[in-house]
Amino acid sequence: MHTFNSIIALINREFKITYRNFSDILSIFLFFLLGIMIFVFSVGGNTKIFNEIGIGIIWTLLLLSNNLSLRKFYQDDFNDNSIILFHISGLSYEIISLIKMIVNWIFIQLPFFIIIPLGVLLLNIDISNFQIIFLSFLIGSTIITCIASISGSMNLLNNKNFAIGSLIIMILSIPVIIFSVSLINLADEFIKAQISILLGIMFFFLAITPWICAACIKLALQSK
Amino acid sequence: MLLANNIYFKRNNRKIINNVSLSLSDHKIIHLTGNNGAGKTTLLKIITNVLELQKGEIYWNGKNIKKNPFDFYKNVTFIMDHNTSNKSLTINENIFFWRKLFSSKRNNKEIDSILELLSLNHLQNTLISYLSYGEKRKLELSRLIIEQKKLWVLDEPYNGLDQSSINLVNHTLLNHMKLGGMIIFTSHFSPEIPNIENLYLDNHAHL
Repeated sequence: MHTFNSIIALINREFKITYRNFSDILSIFLFFLLGIMIFVFSVGGNTKIFNEIGIGIIWTLLLLSNNLSLRKFYQDDFNDNSIILFHISGLSYEIISLIKMIVNWIFIQLPFFIIIPLGVLLLNIDISNFQIIFLSFLIGSTIITCIASISGSMNLLNNKNFAIGSLIIMILSIPVIIFSVSLINLADEFIKAQISILLGIMFFFLAITPWICAACIKLALQSK
Repeated sequence: MLLANNIYFKRNNRKIINNVSLSLSDHKIIHLTGNNGAGKTTLLKIITNVLELQKGEIYWNGKNIKKNPFDFYKNVTFIMDHNTSNKSLTINENIFFWRKLFSSKRNNKEIDSILELLSLNHLQNTLISYLSYGEKRKLELSRLIIEQKKLWVLDEPYNGLDQSSINLVNHTLLNHMKLGGMIIFTSHFSPEIPNIENLYLDNHAHL
């Protein structure tokens, strides 16, 4: 019961802090929409091009937007030792990592379900692809959250080279991008197989991420 | 009872803690002293199992804390050198979080009287980012009363406090000892607490 109370308390705290700093999140979504507009302005009104590469643009901007939220994962709690406090309250670093991932997914990824349709409209992508785009984003966003969590925990002691965190996300996201983007142009009989591959990647990351993050946090505390 | 035997810790090829032993029983208080970089904070983090021991053992009531750290944590309050109150939340919200996190049995009336004692009652709905360092430190120290644990591990608890707050902390520490608690703390300030045991860290200390 005590552990359950601690988990609820931590989730509640994360929600309050994220809500108070909502402008940070808003800037992530603005970045995504402005990025799409820049593509529209630079390529022009050629709808055929956007129909072919639009989904790629959306995924690229989603990935870049996620890079902006990277430092939201553990950095503040690591710097002021709150992460130690959570641990002493009885929560393992694995559980802490899982809670952070859930909160990040709800606040950073979930609102994209509202913003992606805007992006689809701006890029004039065929609306019949909506279902596939949403499904691939549902799976892909979970994978990206896991990858961002790994990257955030790996860079806790890195106060100089912020680009490394983004590089880790980009490299690990390559399979997600390949399988998500190609879903649009696949014949119906191959879609199920490709979604199964994406689901496989998602479950793989969900299984390993808490352990990797916990190990990275422990290692960072050891060297702090 | 807390027992630490032959603790050794090395970081970046530098010996920080070298063969330190100590014991802490009910009604006892240890004051860790030493020059800057002597390893006082590191020793506290090792005692609380935040940092992993490289050599030596630590026992709580006869059980190795490494084997079951969460049983040990049920008895420990650790006040660290940094304040853990979140700057985006108010005093009340931080206290609410700590009470839930540690399943504290303190009721609202008790919390109000703690805040009144700390002269923080008029700031209950103020964001932490607007508080002075001393006020944040006092709020952090309120965790000692909220958590109600037996072993208090304090890293520089007197930092940023005015004289009346220092007296209040001394009184609280004394009271905790009288009730059978145990305390280990680091400070460059020597508080007026009777029966205090000093452990000077010079990388070869024993107590």
